[in-house]
Amino acid sequence: MGNDAVFRVHGLRKSFGHIEVLGGVSLDLHAGEVTVLMGANGAGKSTLVKIISGVYERGGGTMSLAGDDFAPSTPAEAIRAGVVTVHQNINDGVVADLDVATNLTLDRLSGSGAPTLFNPGRVRREAKAIADRMGLAIDLKARISDLSLADRQMVAIARAMAHQPKVLILDEPTSSLSSAEADRLFALLDRLREHGVAILYISHRMSDIRRLADRIVSMRDGIISGVFDRKPLDYEGAVNAMLGRKIHLDRIVAKNSAKPVLMIDGLRIAEGPRPISLTLGDGEVVAITGLVGVGKTALAETLFGVRKPLSGTMMLNGKPYAPGSAGEAIAAGVFLVAKDRSENGIVGDFNIQENISLPFHKRMSRLGVLKRRIERTTARQQIRELGIVCRSEKDEMSALSGGNQQKVMVARWMSQTAKLFILDEPFQGVDISARRDIAAKLRASANGRATLLFVTELDEALETADRILVMSEQTIVGEHRNADIDLEQLLAEVAGGPLHSAS
Amino acid sequence: MSSGWIEMAAARDHAIRYGFIVLLFGLIAYFATAASGFVSPQSAVFIFQSVAITGVLALGVTATLVVGGFDLSIGSVATSAMMAAAYVMVVLEQNAVVAVIACLAIGVIVGLINGWLIVYMRVPDLLATLGMMFLLVGLQRIPTEGRSIATGMTMPDGSVANGTFSAAFLALGRHRFDFFIPNLIPVSVVVLLVLAVLIWFFLEYTRFGRMMYAVGSNKRAAELAGAPVKAYKIWAYVISGVFASIGGVLLAARLGRGDIASGNNLLLDAVAAALIGYAVLGAAKPNAFGTAVGAVFVGVLLQGLTMMNAPYYTQDFIKGVVLVVALVFTFALSGRGKR
Amino acid sequence: MKITRRLLGKAALGLAGATLLMQVPAMAQDKPAPFDKPGAVKIALVRYLSTGDFFQAYLSGVEAQAKALGVDLRVLDSRQDAALQADMVDQAIALGVQGIIIQHGLTESMKEAAQRAVDAGIKVVAFDVNVENPKIPQIEQSDRDLARLALEQAVKDNGESWKAGYVYVAGIAPLDRRNETWVEFKKKYAGINEAAMFGTLDNPIANSVANQARSVLSANPDIKVMFAPYDEFAKGVKIAVDEAGLSQDIKIYSADISTSDIAAMREPDSAWAATAATNPAVVGQVSVRALAQLLAGEDPGHNVIVPPTLITQKDLLDKDIKNMEDLSAKLPQFAHADVAMPAWMPNPNAK
Repeated sequence: MGNDAVFRVHGLRKSFGHIEVLGGVSLDLHAGEVTVLMGANGAGKSTLVKIISGVYERGGGTMSLAGDDFAPSTPAEAIRAGVVTVHQNINDGVVADLDVATNLTLDRLSGSGAPTLFNPGRVRREAKAIADRMGLAIDLKARISDLSLADRQMVAIARAMAHQPKVLILDEPTSSLSSAEADRLFALLDRLREHGVAILYISHRMSDIRRLADRIVSMRDGIISGVFDRKPLDYEGAVNAMLGRKIHLDRIVAKNSAKPVLMIDGLRIAEGPRPISLTLGDGEVVAITGLVGVGKTALAETLFGVRKPLSGTMMLNGKPYAPGSAGEAIAAGVFLVAKDRSENGIVGDFNIQENISLPFHKRMSRLGVLKRRIERTTARQQIRELGIVCRSEKDEMSALSGGNQQKVMVARWMSQTAKLFILDEPFQGVDISARRDIAAKLRASANGRATLLFVTELDEALETADRILVMSEQTIVGEHRNADIDLEQLLAEVAGGPLHSAS
Repeated sequence: MSSGWIEMAAARDHAIRYGFIVLLFGLIAYFATAASGFVSPQSAVFIFQSVAITGVLALGVTATLVVGGFDLSIGSVATSAMMAAAYVMVVLEQNAVVAVIACLAIGVIVGLINGWLIVYMRVPDLLATLGMMFLLVGLQRIPTEGRSIATGMTMPDGSVANGTFSAAFLALGRHRFDFFIPNLIPVSVVVLLVLAVLIWFFLEYTRFGRMMYAVGSNKRAAELAGAPVKAYKIWAYVISGVFASIGGVLLAARLGRGDIASGNNLLLDAVAAALIGYAVLGAAKPNAFGTAVGAVFVGVLLQGLTMMNAPYYTQDFIKGVVLVVALVFTFALSGRGKR
Repeated sequence: MKITRRLLGKAALGLAGATLLMQVPAMAQDKPAPFDKPGAVKIALVRYLSTGDFFQAYLSGVEAQAKALGVDLRVLDSRQDAALQADMVDQAIALGVQGIIIQHGLTESMKEAAQRAVDAGIKVVAFDVNVENPKIPQIEQSDRDLARLALEQAVKDNGESWKAGYVYVAGIAPLDRRNETWVEFKKKYAGINEAAMFGTLDNPIANSVANQARSVLSANPDIKVMFAPYDEFAKGVKIAVDEAGLSQDIKIYSADISTSDIAAMREPDSAWAATAATNPAVVGQVSVRALAQLLAGEDPGHNVIVPPTLITQKDLLDKDIKNMEDLSAKLPQFAHADVAMPAWMPNPNAK
């Protein structure tokens, strides 16, 4: 084995319309090695995986498998050639209503050469052979829907391995597993590595990466931004390459706040980690950064009352604050711009004006009847202030660009005065100019409230915040004033390594 | 070239917006020439009267469509309310007020149960209300062991029911108000118009109506905007149940007895009216004005066709054609269905 | 002879089994075999249709006659499932019954099942379904006679020349038979002019027919007679006539009767002039009697026709008939039909 790559990608390109998603990606996978692929949302990871697994057609470049040209036009072709992919959504890989044995042999039930009659005995024999080879200790007669997520994952992987592939691709396989479940998965992957399979493992979770990686490849904006294969692996470097760091021309002047608005004491959002305690001040913009899945959204939702904390107390302007619903949070002056606007924010059947007024109907109506004039003037004012590009406040949301849609979501919550203004990934799917507009508006209007942002991209935090907190494994692991930041330290905290000196 | 394109798009916009209204007027013009006696105040009132009951049901089901649900039980709620009214007056010998209250109570209770099943028990709306429909079709037969209710009927225990439909109750189906012409407008038409204006105002102009649309369009967004989504959903089913029970009151007042019936045709006609309503003024969403126009549209069609001696099956056929055309208007031409 | 007031609805339900046992031995002696031994005969009623007033009343007639005869009755109800109904015939055979009444159903599904029963030595009669078997008497209410009685009354009331509206839905067997008579009448009286034909079975039927009738009346305000040979149709037409304010100008003739029909006909200025009806309870009784005759070795004839009765508005008002029981009590021809009535046959209407 050793240095000869079994699978090689060279100069791979892909565009959707005139947006280039992959700008010449080159990547080698070696037999008996786990290569971890890191990248932020939108870096192009899933596009790359979909091209390799035969879902998308490539726009340019070459791929080779064991020295032969590899150009699958369907997923089935890729599997036959020996490249197997286990997708992120576990339930896509198994049929919930069938038993384990049938699931393990599902591929053999269809396709040419499959016998017409379903022979339960033969299915069980074949399934047993597969299970034994993989060391799978699951009752073959159990129904998939009765299994835990990890067991389902095992079944999906075992079935994939029944093809004895040369390359196995796992797309965020642990995102819905507990740590004990993940350990079982890792043990299985260790066995596969010993069998000489080349594994491409996509993940954000630093603990997974530390446990498994032989090499780390970072991706950013459609290109490979770093390859790390010298032991000991440079995890901070990999995170840095993934998050990137541009030169900040518009470096902000960090402010300090004297008057506390929100005080959190001993808040726990998950079993296990150290509780969270922090204070947010009036006029301050604070960003909480961290990788995907470290609990940022859970914390945002806890502050907004849609999720119950396990323990801990909160004080808002000196009064106890324990919201039981979004409605109560809003009434108390805590607003949230939720992440993923099309899922959690935009009401598709409503125009701009109606989207902006959505949470504040009560304040804009008398005896239940909406005062449309107030609604309209509010919307017009917000459109002007945030520079939303549209013909009028009556435009459909679908007519707006992503950046302008996001501005409407921010405008919705800026139309009324907040005590605590929370934004979860407000720059997701937003072009750079809209991002600047929103950030500037947030800073300009910051007085009189506390502003809290949750962002994965470090740049976004550096561009907007007075103070940056780092989150890892469901808790806060570091705090930095956004002036003369020790970026090495910050990156180390994001990467979740042994903490040097973080409080 | 680009200006031609814009003109075409504008023309299409107009076709979507006003197409159905134009079609309605075209239809009226056609029947006016083809069927003598079609154009008269009385004829217009007939049309409204013939769609009053299904119209009221349709306005109710519009509320559930607005929150992204559906209510298949409205037809059987209406016939159950009709049976209840007859039972209260004929068997229990109570007055009109008690009968109407009993009907409305049935509407509220069925609405609450539907809402509870859908919101808290997580039964899909179609299945929950389908179950409720079967339940009610059976339930309405239990008190009389499957007999229709009329004065002088024999009860299962052998006694004779001697109560009568009170005059006040029957007036709901038979009294007419003067409107330029004496004795022109029946109560049922007034009820339809009043309820139509009420629900239209409620859905378009109050914050509750607005939030119901938000719940129907993006439940999660409404929730994160602080709306009690579950309560809104349940309210929608209560509105639907109450409107259906009002339809049942009108039905009982018109028939003057309690008739065993599943109400399936009432359901289908009401749903057709509400769905045709999607196409009116290019709304592409459930709306009260459209529902009312849809109901009138169906009424005009049936009145005209019957006056021209078209047999009932051609009427069903044409009703179906209109519905399909309306749905094409909504989903294909306006392009909103794709979102 | 006193006529029971409990004809409809309650007959069998109301009385306890004990009374039955006390009554029967006294009467059983004069009957031919196998009815000389009470409880020795077992029969089955295999139903296709069962919901609605008509079928309730029919069942009560069957039960009343069965009780009077002292036979053990099993009711098998397929609830409009044609295949199940055929299976139920086999079930009845397995139960060891001596006689079967087939009530409604489809010729296609019941023909063979009926033949199997006959082959098993079981006596069978059929009501309102043609099982195409010479050994099986057909019990019929004469739809042609129903229509004829109503139309004769219409001619008597209105002369031989008038403009008519006609309510009809094709494809429903009894309505088709009633239609034949209407077609004959139009031929016989050239002065009868059918201005409009309409009809629907959308339920509630009366409501849907009322909507149609309103349209028809506005298109043809000169209609004098409405022939609606099904009482649900007639109710709808009456609602429309009332709503159009034409109740003094139009007369409605129909078929069938119920308590609420009686109330509607009795209303002041009611347009509903007359209806012709067969008492469904009587049809039920006749069904059992015809079967009993077969079992006793007698021949009821292949077609056992239950004659209808004409009921006019005048009858109802003059005799103060307010409901079905009054009707049976005060119009004896409605309460009892002298069909399949040999001397030994107990009359369930007699006390």
